[in-house]
Amino acid sequence: MAGCAGQQDGEEPTDTEPPATTEPSDDDGETPTETDTPTETAGPASDLNVVVTMGNMDSGLDPQDHAETNTNIVVRQGYEPLLNRDREGAIIEGLANEWERLEDGRAARFTLRDGVTFHNGDPLTAEDVAYSIRRIVFEDVGFASPQATDLGAVSEVETGDGEVTVRYDPLNPIPFALFSVNCDIMQQSWVEEHDRDFINQNLNGTGPFQLTSYDAGNEVVFERFPDFWKGAAEVGGVTLNSSTESSTRVNRLLAEESHIVTNVPPQEVARVNNSDVGSIKAVPSTRVIFLFMRYDIEPFSSQQFRQAMNYAVDVESIIENVLSGFGSPSSQPTLPLFTGHNPDLDPYGYDPDQAEQLVEESGQAGAEITLQTPIGRYLKDVEIAQAAAEQINSLSNVTCDVEQRDFGAYVQDLITGNIEDKPPFGLLGWGNGEFDASQTIVPLLTTGTTLTTYENSEIDQLMDQAASTANPDDREDILQEANARLHEQAPWVFMHQQFSVYGVSNAIDWEPRVDEHIDPYRASPN
Amino acid sequence: MALGRFLLKRSLQGLLVVWGVITVVFLLRFVTPGSPIDAVAPLDATQETRRAIAAELGLDQPLHMQYLTYLFDLIQGDMGFSYVRGVDVVGLVFLKVPATVELAVAATVVAIVLSIPLGVISATRRNQPIDYGATIFSLGGISTPNFWLGIMMILVLAVQFDIFHTSGRGVTSFNVATSILGPEPFFGTLIDWLSYITLPALSLGTYFMALITRLTRSGMLDQLGRSYIRAARAKGLPETLVRYKHALRNTLVPVVTVLGLQLGTLIGGAVITEAVFSWPGLGTLVIQSINLRDWPALQGSLIVIGTSFVIVNIAVDVIYAYLDPRVAYD
Repeated sequence: MAGCAGQQDGEEPTDTEPPATTEPSDDDGETPTETDTPTETAGPASDLNVVVTMGNMDSGLDPQDHAETNTNIVVRQGYEPLLNRDREGAIIEGLANEWERLEDGRAARFTLRDGVTFHNGDPLTAEDVAYSIRRIVFEDVGFASPQATDLGAVSEVETGDGEVTVRYDPLNPIPFALFSVNCDIMQQSWVEEHDRDFINQNLNGTGPFQLTSYDAGNEVVFERFPDFWKGAAEVGGVTLNSSTESSTRVNRLLAEESHIVTNVPPQEVARVNNSDVGSIKAVPSTRVIFLFMRYDIEPFSSQQFRQAMNYAVDVESIIENVLSGFGSPSSQPTLPLFTGHNPDLDPYGYDPDQAEQLVEESGQAGAEITLQTPIGRYLKDVEIAQAAAEQINSLSNVTCDVEQRDFGAYVQDLITGNIEDKPPFGLLGWGNGEFDASQTIVPLLTTGTTLTTYENSEIDQLMDQAASTANPDDREDILQEANARLHEQAPWVFMHQQFSVYGVSNAIDWEPRVDEHIDPYRASPN
Repeated sequence: MALGRFLLKRSLQGLLVVWGVITVVFLLRFVTPGSPIDAVAPLDATQETRRAIAAELGLDQPLHMQYLTYLFDLIQGDMGFSYVRGVDVVGLVFLKVPATVELAVAATVVAIVLSIPLGVISATRRNQPIDYGATIFSLGGISTPNFWLGIMMILVLAVQFDIFHTSGRGVTSFNVATSILGPEPFFGTLIDWLSYITLPALSLGTYFMALITRLTRSGMLDQLGRSYIRAARAKGLPETLVRYKHALRNTLVPVVTVLGLQLGTLIGGAVITEAVFSWPGLGTLVIQSINLRDWPALQGSLIVIGTSFVIVNIAVDVIYAYLDPRVAYD
């Protein structure tokens, strides 16, 4: 019901000169007249219901029972982790207002802020926090959470007076990076009193919005939670819905039915920018796109051949022509803004002559290779793969074609844990919400992990060293070193950092975040 | 008596069909690539995490045990647990049924209201301009892909002229019904409802409307040439009675068959239209479930779709016998 109320009254058909001019009726007793500066006044400024249209809906409201982006966007309206991120990804306070390492990184202590309440009115306790952590990490508490490995090797969770201490064995160098992305805090008694079906359709968190209605797969409606510890939201509520068709999402924005639409594809960008109701806002995301090359099989076993592939692909042109500029070329597995990103490395750059020469030197001239790509999993994945393969194919001494795969079948090949079963050459994307180099390199490029396509003792050693180094500066150096080596060894064709592209209505003031979350809490009506 | 036996027999047949659907859909999950666990676990989950999830969901059981458990639960009205969404499938599926039925019925009403008069007029004014107009219109309708029509109508009527909503289902027919008694203004609610449902109903109903127009026209032409019509005219019956009581009624026999089949198709086959308009019905659920590899939800949706197909067809047979007394229930 709320769906149609808020949006129709977007009573500003012309966004030219909105506020303050409507003051001839000097209504005395009513609102303070400086309504056009809703900055710190913290008042319940507006009843605007921000409508967000995503590509797909959530898969249930239990914040610990899923591992994908859309669900995260939905549940984070109501649930919060212990720490937060700002728009650029830096760690900031959340439910914990102090956090520190103990015992050389073998433990992390979080001090909870006072006065936080759940939506049902009960105060947040240290026990609730400890329970939420245990529910994810320990299989015998609750259920087998798909996030079980996201918090690192937690061995023990202890509670004190308003504080929680998490112990690691072996030590974990990045507990705060992990706890600022994972582990939404739930209320122990509420979870224990209800079954899984209920918890997936109801919500009792501490976040800025409380649930008013949940229609699975269709629409989730939230209203402002007045007792939110940071102060009640400026907008009245949030409605999240979805449309798998990107043109339908854009139509919703243009018809002023939605305020924020996600994943506007390059071909729709002009339609939004040419309209007078909204505009495109894009930010670099935490997702890197690359072509992996299996190190154990010819011709990719040759480092020179792998480097040649990096010179053969014109990433700049692919970004320009396939992605309409929404991407930036990468030089290493780790993205800028991440811990461990090496700023001294430049992308390989397009140099077909160099590529042909390296192929000759590698002794692999005449190689015939096939690039596998999932269909529709990443923005323009097939088009990107086709362009890259065509560029490789145009080298005089390599032939390359493309094989399109259903993502489910492709994943089956990738996760067998047996490197011999994997495709020799394939396109993949990797999101890394922790903003830490290790969360990309360890799962994808070290020996013995499920997804890895690369094994190199030097890299393994560096990553082991990073994992046991608690000092952040020393660790940063080690990770930068690992990135430099990886750039040189070229286990991937380094493609690009994907951008998140949103269509945003002129009716609200909102800026997108790098971590793909959508936070109408920070939105304000225009 | 005969009707009772007929219904029983057809219901048993229908049950067999539904059981077949269940079995095929259940087995399909095991021949399609990709594991449902991948829908739950992140890509870099360890093998232990995957095993733990599989064990908890019963996916580590042998195939025949999973099948028998599923059938046994189904008999008790339990369609299983959607491990992707973490909810019971029964609730998930049945919440979507009203939206789909509403759209299917609306599309059918659009089709019938426009097509039968059009068919009759073009049969009685054969080879006159109005007949040519109707023929061009209906051929156009049959040959226009309805997703394209939907997208075009959204662009023109919703985005450009802002008459209708682009998509979604903000107001339901249930809201309209309650507004008659409740505090909500009836006309406002009705108009709101129409602003959501008109475009999807038109888009879905157009093909159908065109088809029925053609059927009605040729059926009427056929009937009007029969000797009983000549006899009726000879005995001095007014022309309207001849046309509508005699000829039209006999024309409707094949029309109803097609209507029934199409209504069944509309319930299951509105997938594309539902996707274009983000209509929150079974079709959207089917698409979402395929994307999410949510097999239990997919199975549940297909069982409901299969069952409604069977029910609609039984109903068609009953109406058929009413329209044509020569058809006996046997």
